[in-house]
Amino acid sequence: MKIIVIFFILFSLSSSISALEFKELKTEDGIKIWWVKDESLPIISISFSFNGGSYLDEKGKEGTAYLMSALLDEGTKNFSSNEYKIAMKSNGMNLSFATAIDKIGGNFQIISTQKNKGFELFYEAVNFPTFSYEEIEKVKKQIVSSIKIENSDVSSVADIKFDEFFFGSHGFSRRIKGSIESIERISRKDLVAYHKNVFTKDNIVIGVAGNISEKEVKQYISMVFGNLPSVGNQRKLSTFNSLKMGEEVFEMDTPQTTVVFGQPGISRTEKNYFVARIANYILGGGGFQSRLYKEIREKRGLVYSIYSYLDSYKMDGVIVGGFQTRNHSVMDTIEMVKGEWSKISSSGVTSRELQDAKTYYKGSFSRNLTSSLSIANLLKIVQYYNLGNDYFVRRDKIIDDITLEQINNLISNLIDRDKLFFMIVGKPEL
Amino acid sequence: MKLVHLIFFIFISTELFSKNLFNSKTFTLTNGLKVIVVENKRAPVVAQMIWYDFGSGVEEKGKSGLAHFMEHLMFKGTKKFPNDYYSNFLSKIGGSENAFTSYDYTAYYQIFPSSETERIIEMEADRMRNLTLTKANIETEKKVILEERFQRIESKPSSQLDESMRTILFPNHYYGRPIIGWKHEIETLVYQDVLDFYNKYYNPNNATLVLSGDIDLETAKKLTKRFFGKIRKAKNLPQKKLLDPDLRTSVFVELDHPNVKQSIWKKMHRVDSYNKSIENGIALDIGLKILVGGSTSILYEELVNKKKIFSMIGGFYQGLTKGDGYSFFYAIPIEYLDSRKIDKIVSDEMRIAIKKKITLEKVNLEKKQYFFDSVYGMDGILKPAEIIGEAVTVGIKLEDIENWNEKLEQIDLEDVIKALNEFYENKNFVIGSLKN
Repeated sequence: MKIIVIFFILFSLSSSISALEFKELKTEDGIKIWWVKDESLPIISISFSFNGGSYLDEKGKEGTAYLMSALLDEGTKNFSSNEYKIAMKSNGMNLSFATAIDKIGGNFQIISTQKNKGFELFYEAVNFPTFSYEEIEKVKKQIVSSIKIENSDVSSVADIKFDEFFFGSHGFSRRIKGSIESIERISRKDLVAYHKNVFTKDNIVIGVAGNISEKEVKQYISMVFGNLPSVGNQRKLSTFNSLKMGEEVFEMDTPQTTVVFGQPGISRTEKNYFVARIANYILGGGGFQSRLYKEIREKRGLVYSIYSYLDSYKMDGVIVGGFQTRNHSVMDTIEMVKGEWSKISSSGVTSRELQDAKTYYKGSFSRNLTSSLSIANLLKIVQYYNLGNDYFVRRDKIIDDITLEQINNLISNLIDRDKLFFMIVGKPEL
Repeated sequence: MKLVHLIFFIFISTELFSKNLFNSKTFTLTNGLKVIVVENKRAPVVAQMIWYDFGSGVEEKGKSGLAHFMEHLMFKGTKKFPNDYYSNFLSKIGGSENAFTSYDYTAYYQIFPSSETERIIEMEADRMRNLTLTKANIETEKKVILEERFQRIESKPSSQLDESMRTILFPNHYYGRPIIGWKHEIETLVYQDVLDFYNKYYNPNNATLVLSGDIDLETAKKLTKRFFGKIRKAKNLPQKKLLDPDLRTSVFVELDHPNVKQSIWKKMHRVDSYNKSIENGIALDIGLKILVGGSTSILYEELVNKKKIFSMIGGFYQGLTKGDGYSFFYAIPIEYLDSRKIDKIVSDEMRIAIKKKITLEKVNLEKKQYFFDSVYGMDGILKPAEIIGEAVTVGIKLEDIENWNEKLEQIDLEDVIKALNEFYENKNFVIGSLKN
């Protein structure tokens, strides 16, 4: 019995109205797919992700998830690494995997005339990566080089050190690529085990957009993912119980220091998520309009870029921000960030700011619909966080319903300068 | 197997591309503003890009960074739309925007719901001439730009090496001068410099407007005439064509920095651009892709997979330039190696490859990739505007862009080998080494 749900999504942008129509499909193996048919170009785009990611890396073998996904196009049962890549190229296929701390995401694209070959290659990479010793050694060396390059760069070091200190004993403190030492310890067996535990049918969400029929979607998705094990072996993600506060300095020889800062946030699945998102948009999120941008860059010229964002996961979240400034202005700029934190937390936002943020989020949605890959990605995200089949219908209402009182309550409870942690990397004049 | 590929190849090229790549339409206003429209009704969204036909290249000596400084100041408001009214308006409707400056051009773009097209065109036209700047704006923004230079260059040893390599490769041309400007020169730029630059260069006859997405030709004509059409044409300022002398010396530059944990080898060649010949440019592009473009390339296969000397090797050709183009190679050695040794390893491998390993099969594979990339290039609304805007601004005719793939089809194995042989003999290069 196949359950097919059709939604006609209407959203209004003053005068112009457009529709995103997606269908929920189910393959015979029970894999759920959200699909949008778009015949404007001969392209098929698929966005998918598996629960998992680096937090599942064994202690001492950090970097396992990253190495595993980097090896998926480096040789399969029927193709050597080189043959695989040449076949990708000659069929106009793109396949990429992105390992995050909590998931392994991926994008697949194929020119629709080449779909038979493309899906066959996709199937090989997902189901039968060889993980040959030779390719493991090659990719390990590439990752070691890229770790060394990151370790040479002030901004990259700041991101890595921030995670390390801020998340402390939580699994999210680890580096996704691992360390030079931990990569050495990863064996072929570890990679095979990781692949088996994470690439499973119960772990996957899939969004498809492009020039492909319903029948073909089901058939190809079933071919690529249908033979994976049904159930994986995963640990539950724990909430962040003890995020670091205060400051840490890591010295590097540079005329400009990078600062990354953070404080507790909220989970993507929480009811108030959109309220927090709008609060952050006003504080440090909204391009050239945020308070941090206006006060610290536009008025005082202390930085070129300054931002904050909600880093939200299924079980919990944090608010993260960052900037770079000359060594002599580091402490002043940190004080100014703290000042903005105090100000918004005690006085809240104005109804004008709230109004502008609401219209931003309503209007910006249609930008997701301009390419097949961004549509596929959107379909995936909504499923990944379980936002509901009617999310696109409800989205405008979720935004419209936010009141000034509600957002200011949330802000006074959430935004707290005393909980801020600043990772300072460079040569600050203290 | 081969036959099947060939059929698809022809199918795709004739069905999709034999006529036009983007199916763009164009017209020119009486004041000289070129307008290009790429219609795409998929979503109710428009991307507007305005490409000014000048970048850091028109700066007077001693005033490097002025074009980029001006780009920042274009966000400071006009009499009719003061301060950040424009940016604020864009945000309120859910739009996004940014701008960038290069040697040959300066570009601004916005992506926004198509219901607001009229307002956005009006505001973009307005800031071409009516900017209201204050001395305070300029002093604050100068600080921001210095922080930007520190973020991009002064705190990144790798970028400092690139900057130095360019000064050597282009000793005479403005391509040797950093777009963002030298620190000591940015510091001396003043209000009058900015004002003079704005008045002299920001003119309709110096610009190309690209509208991509949910907009049709008639609307584009009506709106651009109404708002851009009333701006007066300015005097056409001929841009100097500068050439560089041949390099007679071998130049190896090194940057030693305590932060560097991984040594990197780089090599830049000065080469002909597409402006000299599109066909030769494509042949070189294909040739370099076969040699060093990604993990299927010959040098990657030999030096990463087989000999295991490097963890990575790569490179590309950049020929979308008004003056000479350049190519860029890099290699990451697994164990530290002197840059002269690396250069010998790479050059030897290249010589053997050009002599024996460039095959018709490889050329056809790269050609196919070109076709497929151009299909993906149409998936979205900003990408077509970027591709067309950049190419037209550096001097390539719109019809040549639209018919790019026809030119591609004419390139054969001999063309590619010829381009690579010339490249191999080219002595205009500089080698850089980043180390600790």
